[in-house]
Amino acid sequence: MKLLKDLGMILSVTLILAGCTTSFLPPPSQNSAVVSLLEQAQSLSAAGQLDQAGASLERALRIEPRNPLLWQRLAAVRIDQQQYLQAENLAKKSNALAQGDHNLRRENWLLIARARSLNGDDEGSREARERAGQE
Amino acid sequence: MISVVAMKKAKSKPRKKQSKSKKPLLTRLIFRAVLLLILILIFAVVYLDVTVRERFEGKRWKLPAQVYARPLELYPGLQLSPREINDELNLLGYHQTPHPQKPGSYLWHDRVLELITRDFTFAEGFQPGADLRLSFSNGHLQRITNAASNEKIQLIRLDPPLIGGIYPEQNEDRVLVKLDQVPQTVINALIAVEDRRFYSHHGVDLKGITRALVAMAKGGQIQGGSTITQQLVKNFYLSSERTIQRKLVEMVMALLLEVHYSKEEILETYLNEVYLGQDGNRAIHGFGLASHFFFDKPVSQLELQDAALLVGMLKGPSHYNPRTQPQRARQRRNLVLQLMEEHGTVSWTEASSARNQPLGAVERPIRGTSPFPAFMDLVQRQLRQNYRDEDLRSQGLKILTTLDQRVQRAAEAALQQRLSELEGSRRLNQDSLQGAILVTSSQNAEIQALVGGRDPRFEGFDRALDARRPIGSLIKPVVFLTALEQPDSYNLATQLDDSPLVVEQNGSTDWEPQNFDKKFHGQVLLHDALVHSYNVSTARLGLELGPDTVMKSLQRLGVERSLPAYPSSLLGANALTPLEVSQVYQSIASGGFKTPLKAIREVLTSEGVTLQHYPLDVELVASSEATYLLTVAMQDVVTQGTAKDLENYLPQELGIAGKTGTTDDFRDSWFAGFSGDRLAVVWVGRDDNQSTGLTGSSGAMTIWGSMLAKLDPQPLILPEPDRIEAHWIDRPTGLLSARGCKDAVLLPFISGSAPRESVPCRAGKETGNKNWFERIFQ
Repeated sequence: MKLLKDLGMILSVTLILAGCTTSFLPPPSQNSAVVSLLEQAQSLSAAGQLDQAGASLERALRIEPRNPLLWQRLAAVRIDQQQYLQAENLAKKSNALAQGDHNLRRENWLLIARARSLNGDDEGSREARERAGQE
Repeated sequence: MISVVAMKKAKSKPRKKQSKSKKPLLTRLIFRAVLLLILILIFAVVYLDVTVRERFEGKRWKLPAQVYARPLELYPGLQLSPREINDELNLLGYHQTPHPQKPGSYLWHDRVLELITRDFTFAEGFQPGADLRLSFSNGHLQRITNAASNEKIQLIRLDPPLIGGIYPEQNEDRVLVKLDQVPQTVINALIAVEDRRFYSHHGVDLKGITRALVAMAKGGQIQGGSTITQQLVKNFYLSSERTIQRKLVEMVMALLLEVHYSKEEILETYLNEVYLGQDGNRAIHGFGLASHFFFDKPVSQLELQDAALLVGMLKGPSHYNPRTQPQRARQRRNLVLQLMEEHGTVSWTEASSARNQPLGAVERPIRGTSPFPAFMDLVQRQLRQNYRDEDLRSQGLKILTTLDQRVQRAAEAALQQRLSELEGSRRLNQDSLQGAILVTSSQNAEIQALVGGRDPRFEGFDRALDARRPIGSLIKPVVFLTALEQPDSYNLATQLDDSPLVVEQNGSTDWEPQNFDKKFHGQVLLHDALVHSYNVSTARLGLELGPDTVMKSLQRLGVERSLPAYPSSLLGANALTPLEVSQVYQSIASGGFKTPLKAIREVLTSEGVTLQHYPLDVELVASSEATYLLTVAMQDVVTQGTAKDLENYLPQELGIAGKTGTTDDFRDSWFAGFSGDRLAVVWVGRDDNQSTGLTGSSGAMTIWGSMLAKLDPQPLILPEPDRIEAHWIDRPTGLLSARGCKDAVLLPFISGSAPRESVPCRAGKETGNKNWFERIFQ
């Protein structure tokens, strides 16, 4: 347990340092196929082709089913498709896999907050925003 | 005068009338009869006209839905050996040739595969075929480049293998072709053999008929004389009675057909209609499918000798089958070539060169409607929720499924092989055992393999979907999950009472659960009760929670029926199908998120337009923390408990989580478990529900292990939820201990739920066999 925490600490320090020296962002995946599907999904999504964007992300998830970023992007597509409950569930799935990635988890909680508020659940939305603050 | 005239007229009139009514009565009757006959004839012709047009134009053919396995995704870094891709190419019917030029051909140069892929329209759009170079090393695909431009490719799909169809009545299968796709040689051969005056007659060939009649009168053979148009009309009917009446109707219809449609339309229809062979229970119709079926190429690539063979086969597809009757087929083909030569559509040189060619029919195993009938069964059931049966059998839909043939083959082989071995080593009657397997991707819930019995080609009872069997100890994870979801009351270190238990039941005998080893174990940790699958302590825990609550958990995890909630339900007396069990365990394997198991990804129209996409839906149905604790304990079932023998098949380092299940009198043997990437459920039992003599671990688990061993399972590395902390626990008391103390065991807890009291540290060994959690954190 402690080892993990230490490891996490070292990792985050390294990342922060890396972030300070350059505008370096870790690649979303080591797998170039997944990266290209993510890019494809992004441009499809921007073009309003939400079904296809979702299909590309599902395709990426078949290659890397435990990549939390992919689940998050799928959640974002579902919000655009006005499937708010699904969006929330997918963001939660992303959270469950995003162990120690506080940035991603904060974004997920904000995404859940948005989905809930669009779904008319203002109270739930406020709670999710609070959780985002705790990450 | 006027009056006289009037009288004369008046007088003459009746006379005239008399003579008129006497003489023309017959004529008038005849006239009326003729009129009536003409009317009837007109009516009949109009009727035939309407019928013939309807048949011709309406739904000309019912096109079966085509069902495809998942396409193989190719990308650098993919774990894929040359042998595995060869298997895939085989299933796709790709051919190794010295100089790959056509789509569907390939060549190996050492560890580099040169491959020309085929076009396919996926849900995301058309993917054109490409000329690729694939380099392999160490069981991985290392690099993909475009052979022409040398550009690197990050991701590309092979076309998906066709694994079956949903067919119209009589299992008619066809691939439609347009006339301009059909080589002229096919048409020339057809006309030379079947209907030489096709382009000059009007549907009926009087010269032909006369010739046929003369020949018959002279005592010669019965000759056809039927034009292509007449043959086509004949095909519109199901029966093949041979009466003069039918012949006349046929002629009239043929004439009518020619009035409405061009020769080209008639020819095209004919080429798509005709019956050309049989593949198991699947009927091969039309030249489009026949060219694939016999020569493995599209109709446009048929050569003269192929065309002659197919046209020759029209006379009797099984009599002249090139695979079973090569001698006859060759003679018939060469006769067709001779007729073409006589008709002047080929030269002597062309014909004789074609005559010297081999028959060219490719070998292929009989496939019938599908090699994977159990999986097809599930696909059809899922489709019927959204589509009419009639549409599935007629609209030529393309169904893209999740079946992974590599996983499917491994599952089939493991089941067949292990059941035979078990029967041999345990002296059971041959073929007395049966089994079923489901394999899914654990996070996406896609069904990769489904085996409904030990003969995977059998199209009958699908045990994976329909065999409801008591699940025995497979219920236990549900009991423990229900407990762990109440962290104020239960954790992995909770002491459970495993001493004798008697439950009085109204109107029924007392229920006295026993442990498998017929012993009682006193106070045991909740963790250990699951690991060793103790019945008595589990029953007591379940009674505390309430059978009702536990059954509700089962439903929450994925069972869609309501189940009886008796005390015996807590030990798995309720019967579930392997499919239902898989759904429940899928929710556990994906960390408490339920995703409906799916067999279908997309449904496309015959033109490739997406009709329906089956999305990846998730729903959180169980606490992530409790599911985590449960899964850690299930990993210990494999490292320390009832599934320890799995190490004979798979290294313990994989961290596989699983559970064995055995029912009364060894009637059912179950194993459900998951690696990092796959979940699989195996059931073994007998159709007559007699004892198999097998436990979950001696039966189903060995099949599970030998199957997974062939599939390079990924290790199960659980993402740890936030509110989890680890503590050393004293095994005999369930209280806090410390590292290095006697009988101490490291267990995870939901924050704040761990015991507060501790025991003094006794010197001695920690527990002998390290549990999974300790292995990770030490």
